[in-house]
Amino acid sequence: MAETSEAQASASAPGGDGSEDDKRDERMLECNICLDTARDAVVSMCGHLFCWPCLHQWLETRPSRQVCPVCKAAISRDKVIPLYGRGNTKQEDPRNKVPPRPAGQRSEPESAGGFPGFGFGEGFHMSFGIGAFPFGVFTSTFNFGDPRPSPAPRGTAQYDEEQFLSKIFLWVAILFVLWLIFA
Amino acid sequence: MANIAAKRIKREFKEVMKSEEVADGTLKLELVNNSWTELKGQIAGPSETPYEGGKFILEIKVPETYPFNPPKIRFLTRIWHPNVSSVTGAICLDILKDQWAAALTLRTVLLSIQALLSAAEPNDPQDAVVAKQYRENIELFHLTAQHWTNVYAGGPNVILDFVQKVQMLTDMGVDENQARVALSTFDWELERATEQLFS
Ligand SMILES: [Zn+2]
Ligand SMILES: [Zn+2]
Repeated sequence: MAETSEAQASASAPGGDGSEDDKRDERMLECNICLDTARDAVVSMCGHLFCWPCLHQWLETRPSRQVCPVCKAAISRDKVIPLYGRGNTKQEDPRNKVPPRPAGQRSEPESAGGFPGFGFGEGFHMSFGIGAFPFGVFTSTFNFGDPRPSPAPRGTAQYDEEQFLSKIFLWVAILFVLWLIFA
Repeated sequence: MANIAAKRIKREFKEVMKSEEVADGTLKLELVNNSWTELKGQIAGPSETPYEGGKFILEIKVPETYPFNPPKIRFLTRIWHPNVSSVTGAICLDILKDQWAAALTLRTVLLSIQALLSAAEPNDPQDAVVAKQYRENIELFHLTAQHWTNVYAGGPNVILDFVQKVQMLTDMGVDENQARVALSTFDWELERATEQLFS
């Protein structure tokens, strides 16, 4: 019975930063790579437990030599079993999630270009670029720091056309926002 | 430093500190900086080896990609061993290279290095000169290793003959460490060592 109460005690204080020492029971469920409580847990055929992101990174580090980090038995993506605890209602296979890899894989244009709107003379360009559709980003990322040669010079027909288009998009964006608010 | 590396090293550090090896003096571990990227380890020379009674200090550098790649470890204390460079302290140990596994920890690695002191592998040497002596004249190898342990690691066994030979060379103005390396390399034959030093 002592074991049970101890397990409950440690379960009520979920680990993470390792500030609480001596959680021997919880160590059973620690990932063998990060030594933290396993998240998106998978178990190898040889019975060793890992976070899927940790194991994935291990397999990626040496693709030519895929062995269990604990016992060095052969191991592969297809030969690990995902573990679903009770709280895990969706039962989503962790292997189908994109493992956290270096940023860039899922980066959005907004974050990639920093604040591209700055430096643009017209204020609505900025709000337009960020708020509705990252239109301005594509032009700005390629001439960042330059005096913005891409839009047509003022006074030409193309300039007017761009201004016109921008305004239309602005109004579409405003209407969209209004629709979001009132719908 | 990558989050996982620092986090893991912190955990491992705590674990080593609570280990029985630290309690009985077999291992020691201390931080060199606050970013957890560099540590200093110490292992006791195993009993029934020429390293018995010595304390050997190791430099431990934790890479950004730890634990997916091994820590970089070398001896700071000079040691006469086939798998350790007598000059740089570099260690030839498979788990520090291609046989590294992410579940290995500083504790297990330090214990493996200690085990290496008990079981040299002269066929996979780091120091060819030491390995040759190990294969061809094991008694002399033992005495040399004991002498180095005494001089550099605080071991108890004074090999008087060797101490005197080193003294002779230092009296001639040779650097002490250089004299010791030369004598050890030439199986403690004073003439050959002198010849090499003054050539
Ligand atoms: Zn993990
Ligand atoms: Zn295994």
